[in-house]
Amino acid sequence: MRPLYYLLALLAGAALSFEGAIYAELGKSIGQVETSFYNFAAGTIIVGLLWLFFGKGEISQIKRAPKWSLLGGLLGVVYLTSIVISVPFVGVGVTMVAVIIGQMVMSMVIEHYGWLGSEPTPVNKEKILAVVSMTAALLLIN
Amino acid sequence: MGSFMILFTLLGGITLSAQSSINGTLGRKAGSLETTLLTFVTGTLFLALYLLFFGNGNLGALFDAPKWQLSAAFLGTVYLLLTVIAVPKIGVIAANIAGIAGQLVAGMLIDHFGWFNSLEIHLDGKRILALGFMALALYLIYRGNKRSAAQAEAAA
Repeated sequence: MRPLYYLLALLAGAALSFEGAIYAELGKSIGQVETSFYNFAAGTIIVGLLWLFFGKGEISQIKRAPKWSLLGGLLGVVYLTSIVISVPFVGVGVTMVAVIIGQMVMSMVIEHYGWLGSEPTPVNKEKILAVVSMTAALLLIN
Repeated sequence: MGSFMILFTLLGGITLSAQSSINGTLGRKAGSLETTLLTFVTGTLFLALYLLFFGNGNLGALFDAPKWQLSAAFLGTVYLLLTVIAVPKIGVIAANIAGIAGQLVAGMLIDHFGWFNSLEIHLDGKRILALGFMALALYLIYRGNKRSAAQAEAAA
């Protein structure tokens, strides 16, 4: 049964690459920021429906949460827009490798210092070597 | 232009990682579906404001765009749902790493076959070697995260 769940997780990641490739194409016809806007507007509809029927959390907590913790959407905008702009120039492979390196480095820093409400987790040599290895991959395919 | 794009995309990865931390923190209080909804709503609002003043594309062409292009909006949700299903069964670390592997392999396949009318970049010796480095990187992240988790457990 476990291999099935690994497969689902693999497919989840693959969905992100497909999303990037398809939005790059949409970006050529309607504009990149417009594509980003479409993604967030359509996502609001999809997740809004899911929330109406399946939401079990407490949305009122949002009003009480610190204001910085409401900025996830703005950060997501930077991510999606950068992908839509970059894919037509360098391809999906390079784009995804670069995104992953950015994520790896930043999450190491965030977790090392325990920023943004995360549990402090010291960086270790395996994680640094992982970034080095991923960077080697980026240099090879670029 | 290529190198500039890569730097820009690195920035995208940085913001994505900051987003997961922030949303993780909020999600523990408000719920993950609620936090995802907030992310989409605020993203829409920021972009709407930007487009009102600086938009120079053609948003109206959205209605003429092929439906397969619009269906990409569901892929983000597919990602979320599959991750939510996989995490309790195989753990966060394994689910994230399998997710990254899927993202990288799919990226290479899309490039190789030029799917979705994208830039066609064939798998050559260098790209295959690069896949080896990526696999090594994933193995190292797995080891590193396992070690962090073991240390956190020992400390607790």
